[in-house]
Amino acid sequence: MMRRHLLHSACGVVLLSVLTASPGFAHEQTGVGGGLAAGLLHPLTGLDHLVAMVAVGIWGAQLGGAAIWVLPIVFPLVMALGAVVGILKIGLPVPELVIALSALVLGLAVALRVRAPFVLAAAVVAVFAIFHGHAHGAELPSAANPLAYGCGFVVATGLLHAFGITIGALARWPGGERVIQGVGAAIAALGGYFLVTSLGVAA
Amino acid sequence: MTGWRVLQVVLLALAALLHSRSATAHQATLGVLEFREMRPGVFIGRWTTLPKDGANRIELKMPAHCLLRLPELNCGDKGLVGQMTIANLGEDMSAAIIRVTSLNGETRSYTISAANPVVTVLGTDAPTLDTWLELGKTYINFGIDHILLGADHLLFVLGLIWIVQGGWRLLKTITAFTIGHSASLAATAFGWIGVPEGPLNACIALSIVFVGVEIVKQQRGEIGLTARYPWAVAFSFGLVHGIGFASALAGLGLERRILPAALLFFNVGVEIGQILFVLLVLALIWAHRRLGAVLPSWGAELPAYAIGSVSMFWFLGRLVRVLALA
Amino acid sequence: MSLRLRTSLLTALLLLTQVQIADAHIVSARLGDFYAGALHPLLTLQDVVAWAALGLLAGSLGAASGRWLVAVFPLGLCLGLALAVAAGLAPTPPIVDAATILVIGLLLAAALRIPVALLCMLAFVLGVMRGVANAGELVPQTDRVLYAAGLASAGYVAITLIMALVLAFRRPETEPASSWRGIAVRAIGGWLAAIGLMMAGLSLAT
Repeated sequence: MMRRHLLHSACGVVLLSVLTASPGFAHEQTGVGGGLAAGLLHPLTGLDHLVAMVAVGIWGAQLGGAAIWVLPIVFPLVMALGAVVGILKIGLPVPELVIALSALVLGLAVALRVRAPFVLAAAVVAVFAIFHGHAHGAELPSAANPLAYGCGFVVATGLLHAFGITIGALARWPGGERVIQGVGAAIAALGGYFLVTSLGVAA
Repeated sequence: MTGWRVLQVVLLALAALLHSRSATAHQATLGVLEFREMRPGVFIGRWTTLPKDGANRIELKMPAHCLLRLPELNCGDKGLVGQMTIANLGEDMSAAIIRVTSLNGETRSYTISAANPVVTVLGTDAPTLDTWLELGKTYINFGIDHILLGADHLLFVLGLIWIVQGGWRLLKTITAFTIGHSASLAATAFGWIGVPEGPLNACIALSIVFVGVEIVKQQRGEIGLTARYPWAVAFSFGLVHGIGFASALAGLGLERRILPAALLFFNVGVEIGQILFVLLVLALIWAHRRLGAVLPSWGAELPAYAIGSVSMFWFLGRLVRVLALA
Repeated sequence: MSLRLRTSLLTALLLLTQVQIADAHIVSARLGDFYAGALHPLLTLQDVVAWAALGLLAGSLGAASGRWLVAVFPLGLCLGLALAVAAGLAPTPPIVDAATILVIGLLLAAALRIPVALLCMLAFVLGVMRGVANAGELVPQTDRVLYAAGLASAGYVAITLIMALVLAFRRPETEPASSWRGIAVRAIGGWLAAIGLMMAGLSLAT
């Protein structure tokens, strides 16, 4: 069963990459290729965003129950709300700090297998989603093709999510739980590092 | 048994065609342009016979990597490889000859006419890998374009798929069609057979009418010729369609020495286009089954009648044109 | 559906995405306007996103509702094109386009069982909107009928294939919307809604 799932996701990724790499887009609309690439790469280049996003996926899989389906479906929407705030140039307080903090909290939650109540978990993730979306949304209007940027951004975020959920699925194997906790600890450590640097900048 | 009879008739007709090679019409030459290679890839060109209404009115187009500023033509390291065209041919001037003399003194002539507005040049030296790549790219693309723009060929293939319904039989049938049209395409391109274009196009249209009739027969529960010997029908009509492909190739004014390669690449392009079309149709058939989106029973015969009517319309139109010319 | 069939279909799709038919001169040939009409929407991101969203929504609702779109959507495209040419209908403002994607995304994410009539209406309206938008590419030399045929064919092929692929993946007949396949499709709905929301925000900001 798992192998089939993997096959599916692999096929999906290949299809997607072919679609996005298709020079046909670039041919017809100016800047679509550039916009897509920028949107795809943006979430991948900011390490603080990246680790927090993966942590969201893992934590969702760990919590199970409602979280495993609410998370992938609602998260993008909340993130888009944050992006709209960013597009409208409404400032949020200390964004760097909150992102780093969320990486730390999410990483710790995964490492310590915190069984937080669903509402609390959702609130923590939502705060992160809004700040995360805000940071990207602020860049959207200046993209060569905003729609392409948005698509790339959403696809990259979704893939990171899926990556996190896949790691979370490791728990089915013996010893997988330990690996997950290790990953969580690493994420928390990175989050702590970013927190210290952003505090240093702020001070 | 009937399958063999049809095959015999087709073969007889082909044999007759072999003897009736169409003569190529001679057009008045109104300009001769000579290019002489001075350094590798650099030519000096001049009109040895001026066209009637002045040389500077002629829109000569050289391959994209060449810089033409008469009298100089600079093609750089790649040399003179690719397609030469005169864009505005046909108004006052019916034909022009371009003569290229290479460094080693070899001279080649290319005739550009309204019927052959493009000539493909393989360079003055022995062909290199680049030349072949260039040639391959040009002719594979040309083949794909040709099949995708040939609505009559596509409609015929669609009819075949409809009758044979996928699976191994379809693979065999499409292969037979491919062999058939490749053979006659080669034979026509090398000048072994010649068929006047008008009647041929009418025949192609008629082949689709035939397939349409076969679909209707099949839907009524009769086992037609195509259902019984799909490969034989596909092969014989493939021969007819192949001659049609060749007429497109003939318009490109190919040098004799690159003809086999160009033919191969062109055919590869045609196959790519054909496979894409077959895959698309199969995917759509699968999608329709999956969606349960099938025509109601009263409309089941509509597609066959549509194919038949469209092709009959083509046939009559083409027949009228043939009779008008005769 | 057997795995072999699925693999071959995926391969076919892969092949299809890699062909560069847009290569200059096909569009300038005799039947070229057909391909101009067929390729323009497939190479325009706005169309790709909107069509994919509609196909996903219809496919997730099952074959019984989806099959109507095979005809309704291309008809909408043709009508939109005709209205743009004959009545000079202007394309919808970006905020409406964005809102459409947002609504379709939300419907998909919520896995609402919307009635067939509503789905058809949605598809028809979207078809008209995209038909009008695609009329922007017409020049006086374009053969209108061929262009419309190409556009309608592209709409038919795209919507039929996407719906069937979603159906094959999602298996709504046997598996509930809370299976992982159902969640995957709904997650895409969430993503689409996110794109729509961001675009709406952008069109408000500018």
